[in-house]
Amino acid sequence: MGYEDYQCMDENGIREDGRKADEMRPVEIECGVVPVADGSAYIRWGKNEAIAAVYGPMEAHPRKIQRQDRAILDVRYNMAPFSTSDRIRPGFNRRSREISKVTRDALESVVNLELYPRSKIRVEIEIICAEAGTRCCGITAASVALADAGIPMSDMVVSVAAGKCNGIVLMDLNKPEDNYGEADLPMGILPMTDELVFLQMDGDLSMDEFQLAWDYNVKAAHDVHKIMIEALQKRYGGDV
Amino acid sequence: MAIPIIPSLLRDNLAALAEDDQRLDGRARFAGRDLEIEIDCLYNAEGSCRVRMGDTIVFAGVKFQIMTPYPDRPTQGGLMTSAEIRPVCGPNWEPGPPSEESIEMGRVVDRGIRESGCINTTELCILPGEKAWQVIIDLFAISDDGNMFDAFALAAIAALRTATVPAERFDVGEDYKLPVAGTPIMCSYQKVGGRFVYDASKREELGGDERIHITLGDEGHVHSLQKGLRGIFTADEFTEIMDTAQSRCAELREIVHKLEESQ
Repeated sequence: MGYEDYQCMDENGIREDGRKADEMRPVEIECGVVPVADGSAYIRWGKNEAIAAVYGPMEAHPRKIQRQDRAILDVRYNMAPFSTSDRIRPGFNRRSREISKVTRDALESVVNLELYPRSKIRVEIEIICAEAGTRCCGITAASVALADAGIPMSDMVVSVAAGKCNGIVLMDLNKPEDNYGEADLPMGILPMTDELVFLQMDGDLSMDEFQLAWDYNVKAAHDVHKIMIEALQKRYGGDV
Repeated sequence: MAIPIIPSLLRDNLAALAEDDQRLDGRARFAGRDLEIEIDCLYNAEGSCRVRMGDTIVFAGVKFQIMTPYPDRPTQGGLMTSAEIRPVCGPNWEPGPPSEESIEMGRVVDRGIRESGCINTTELCILPGEKAWQVIIDLFAISDDGNMFDAFALAAIAALRTATVPAERFDVGEDYKLPVAGTPIMCSYQKVGGRFVYDASKREELGGDERIHITLGDEGHVHSLQKGLRGIFTADEFTEIMDTAQSRCAELREIVHKLEESQ
């Protein structure tokens, strides 16, 4: 199928997987899925599946990586070899390095690192099944895993993405919409203040389209935030 | 893997428990931990399995690629097993190129499957001398609480036995179920407190000595053996664990077959 042939929506405004333009794929989150970790979370987001685990705070070594006034986050995003339709050769690549970095930049903005000078907190994100939008999945799961590990944070980061396909702004692109689409706008939102700690974009959006995608993202972030809170409440009870 | 500090207290504790034929978690010497197997659980893998043994959790995913057969074996495809132990699965595992431990695990699991002959590589041939399937089993650990060898081996064979060859996607005919003739099963034993125990937990591994891995086929034939780590064992010790491996492997094989039937 060529780029021109792909139709993301039918005449009733319904997408291939049954969603409306502003609808997300179903999201499920579970805490404590890695028993040996200090904190962990599993997320299923449409067909995406990711596991995030947190270890620490622990001693940061070698010493040259230590910060005298705060902890450092050591974030790794990785895709399992069987997570995509063509096998991925194991090991880091430029894409996973960049995603690890922007994820770290997002999470470091909310974790109270000053509480743990000279230490390190490890955040491991493993994508075991991918269907477009894995970086958002990873950041969201990592936030829940950090909370599960009891690491103090000023807020949780909720990461969601809107995009554009066939000239229509769509919330949460799936694989074909991402492949044949024209734009993608992933954001990391702090649901308590609607501030941003993560922002990327590629493609082509008019200012109107951009505003609509932004609004879709902010609304969706609040929906996902509820699911994150429910997952933590399920494990710990009470109000989070 | 970073070498953890093994307190002599742990070794003393394990030795004292062994004298009363006890284990840290109250198990009998040859008893395994709670086992959970889920097959066909990963959407993008052509065959998949998740195994949980106590707090050890691993995945196996089977993928297919088209390869050019080797010139000396123009009618044969390939089988490859690769274990990746990422730092997600425990505080002492570090990032970087594949560690010795993960390479050993991948190779030992590979030998058990390969040597059992359950995959007939000639059946993987698409066009002699030009095209054949390469079957890749990727082993991926999520949580390491000991005995990842057995968890990997079990996940690998269960994933393989449920794999579908994605011929349509590669434009070489219709999808079909990968023929797998047999269910090789691995059982691992570790010397803890001076005697071998089955399915060692992480703490038993840390305070233990040598380990032995045995892979047995459907007829009870041996297909792979591996002795790992520092330690000395006697022929009598080996005979004892080989006997228990025979019955445990048969039990596990039965579990895998029942699971397949229920799908």
